[in-house]
This record gives sequence, structure tokens and C-alpha cells, in this order.
Amino acid sequence: MTTTLNSRPYAWPWDNNLGRQNTALVIIDMQTDFCGEGGYVDTMGYDLSLTRAPIEPIGRLLARFRELGMPVIHTREGHRPDLSDLPANKRWRSQQIGAGIGDPGPCGRILVRGEPGWDIIPELYPRDGEPIIDKPGKGSFYATDLELILRTRGIQNIVLTGITTDVCVHTTMRDANDRGFECVLVEDCCGATDQANHDHAIKMIQMQGGVFGAVTDSESLLERLESL
Amino acid sequence: MNTPDTLLVPDARPYAWPCLGPVASERLALVVIDMQKDFCAPGGYIDSQGVDLRPARATIEPIQRVLAAFRAKPEALVIHTREGHRPELVDLPANKQWRSEQVCPGIGNDGPLGRILVRGEPGWEIIPELAPAPGEIVIDKPGKGAFYATDLDHILRLRGITHLIVAGLTTDVCVHTTIREANDRGFETLILRDCTAATETRHRDAIFTMTEMQGGLFGATATSDQLLAALTSLTRIQE
Repeated sequence: MTTTLNSRPYAWPWDNNLGRQNTALVIIDMQTDFCGEGGYVDTMGYDLSLTRAPIEPIGRLLARFRELGMPVIHTREGHRPDLSDLPANKRWRSQQIGAGIGDPGPCGRILVRGEPGWDIIPELYPRDGEPIIDKPGKGSFYATDLELILRTRGIQNIVLTGITTDVCVHTTMRDANDRGFECVLVEDCCGATDQANHDHAIKMIQMQGGVFGAVTDSESLLERLESL
Repeated sequence: MNTPDTLLVPDARPYAWPCLGPVASERLALVVIDMQKDFCAPGGYIDSQGVDLRPARATIEPIQRVLAAFRAKPEALVIHTREGHRPELVDLPANKQWRSEQVCPGIGNDGPLGRILVRGEPGWEIIPELAPAPGEIVIDKPGKGAFYATDLDHILRLRGITHLIVAGLTTDVCVHTTIREANDRGFETLILRDCTAATETRHRDAIFTMTEMQGGLFGATATSDQLLAALTSLTRIQE
């Protein structure tokens, strides 16, 4: 049993105030569109093995958080069916790579709420009572009620997992950090469409004494949770 | 004078609205706030507090007329809002819940129309007379203001909306919180006086006074007839 977390560049959280009620597991965008066959990332031609690698370790963390009765929050990136919340430049850029948001794909309209490809994969599907944050952007705070929920529940520490490391996970980590939340990213529970981008994103966190928080791995975190 | 694709309400108070001249209709949105059963139908949250529903229900008919006029102009945006909480109440501040329980039966508890102010329950739905039409945007909000913890600002900016015409319930609470949020964000707002009501009519009237102070502290006010007349003269010119 260990009472400090094996994390870099410091033992997270900074004040070691890690409790069952003040610490949430946030699982970012584990949707078919990002890690399933026929989804958005697959349609763009990227290697799915990178974004599927986190599924198993996230599953172990999720099971442990549930056993301990600790808060779990899921996010989904997606747009309203009328696309009124889809910026024109975001749509245009997705069309350039042949996977236009809102267009039909093998798993329904790409990144549209209610479509099969937009939903969370069955392996990590939320249970009743676990909030799901539907977000139109990369960050989970913008245009959502995430901050209200975190503050209402008294959550200070955020354990970040999900995909993709350099895009939605990092934007959410930066958003959270600027709002004063204490974040740790679990590196084997994240993945990117490009391994070098994943590695750089992990490295950036550890600069300047932990410019956005800290980095750990699922095994270390599970060991730390033993002492709660 | 209205030009074919712009709107000006000359007899709004305290100034001819909008203040900087006529607004193009594609820059304009009608925002109908919280016309839910919990706020104006028998068995809902407000009714269970013993409040007279007649002032709130008197707004339904004029709002219907304004809605019809907007629906006849497809380039103008219609937005509805609903106050309510997630079924697990994770977005319900403890003090908001406590205060609602003081006037009983409390947000999240069972009432004649299901759990009070909980998303998906019958009482939380918009009344059938003012049900959103397909393509109209519905904003689910956990607070009084329609901007906080929602995607309203995001949608308005993407659509290039700069002017809001506001109706709904209740004047002193959700309507004016939303007006204040909108005003601070630079939107030009107009409240429709006969399309809004409060649980105390003197509070509604006080809100109109506050809005009209200092040359229009939060925007302007007008009646639905004044707005409809401006919209009608617009149509006539188009013909």
C-alpha cells in the first residue's frame, strides 16, 4: 500500500488530498467515431490500434472507481442534428479529409448526436447515474454544464483518460487547469491518431514543474487507490 | 421606416428599438423562456406553491401570435428554453434544492406532474400551445439564465445573431437573468411586455422600470402589438 502516487513531475495531487468524493474519473470521447470500425477516425484512414489501446486499462480504472463509489464522468463530442452548433470552419476542414461532420458514413451521420457512431463504445458504456457531457468542441468545459457539476459535487481532482491525447484530452486538461482543478493524465489510458503527438502531449504536461498537472499510469493509480 | 429585410420597433420604450437602427431579420432571434408546465400549468411547480396561474397563462395567446409571425419568416431564428435538472440531480446546487423545499415540494421530488423540474418529466415539458416546431432550437438550462452552462452563446454567435426579442416566464427571474447575461455579452435585447409574467405582477412591472432606466439599462421593452405592427409593415413593403 502506498500513500503517494507514482506520477511525474510530482506526486499528484499537489496537496495529496486524494479522497473518494473529491476525485473524479473523466473518460473523454470513447465513441465509435473515434475508436470503432467505420467511425470518423477510421474513415479518415488512421490506425485504430492507437485509439483502441486505452480501452482495456480504462476498463480496469472504471471498475475500481465504481467499486469505491467514486465519481465517474463520460464525455461525447458531437453536434445537434440540425448542425446549429457546428462552426463552418470545423465542417469545412473535416470535409477536406473526406469525412465531413454531419455527412453519412458507415455508422450514421458523422459526429451527430443520436447516431450509432457517436455513442460510447459498449466496453465502456456509462451506467445509470454517471453523468455524460455532450460537448460541441474539443474541450469538455466550453458550452457544457461540466464545471457546474464538478463544483456542485465538490470535485477538486480530475483523473483524465480517453481519446485523443493531443486534441480533446489536452484541451480539457488545459480548460480544467485554468479553472483551478488539479489534473492527472493516465498515459496508458489515452491514445492519439499519431504516436509522436501522444508522446509530445505527455511531455508538455511535465514542463515547468507540471505546467498542466501531472502524468501517471493506470497501474500506479490503482495501487494508490488501495489506500483510500 | 422599415426596409424590406429589416426590423425597427419605433414605439418601444425608452427608445426606438434597436438603438443603432433597423436590424436585418437574419440577425434576429425570438427567445421564448421556460413556457413549461411546471411554470404555468395546473399541477406544476408554481401551481403547487399556490400561486395564481392566470397572469402566466395570459401570456400564451400573445406569444402564439409572435411565434406565428416569426415562423412566417424562415430566416429569423426561434429558440425555446427549458429550466430543468439531470435526473440524478448532479447539476442541482444544494442551496437551490434546500430553498425549493422550504416552499415545498422541492426540486427533484414527486409532484402531480412527475419529479419537479427534472428533465424528461411531464411537468418539465413545454406546454402544448407553444410546443417547439421542427428545426427550432431548444436550450436546456440548469439555472435561471439561459447562457450559463449551455450552448446558447455558441449557437447565437455561429448564426451571427446580434439581437434578441425575449418572451416567457418569469419576468423577474429567468427572463431578466437571461436579459442581463445577454446584455453583458453585447446582444441588443427587447422584452415583450404582454408576453411575460411574474409570480407577483408588481415584480414584473418593476423589471420593466429597471430595464428602461438610464436610457435603457438592459435594452428596451415593447408590446407584442407594437412588434407585430412593425413586422406587418415590413411584409407590406416586401409585397
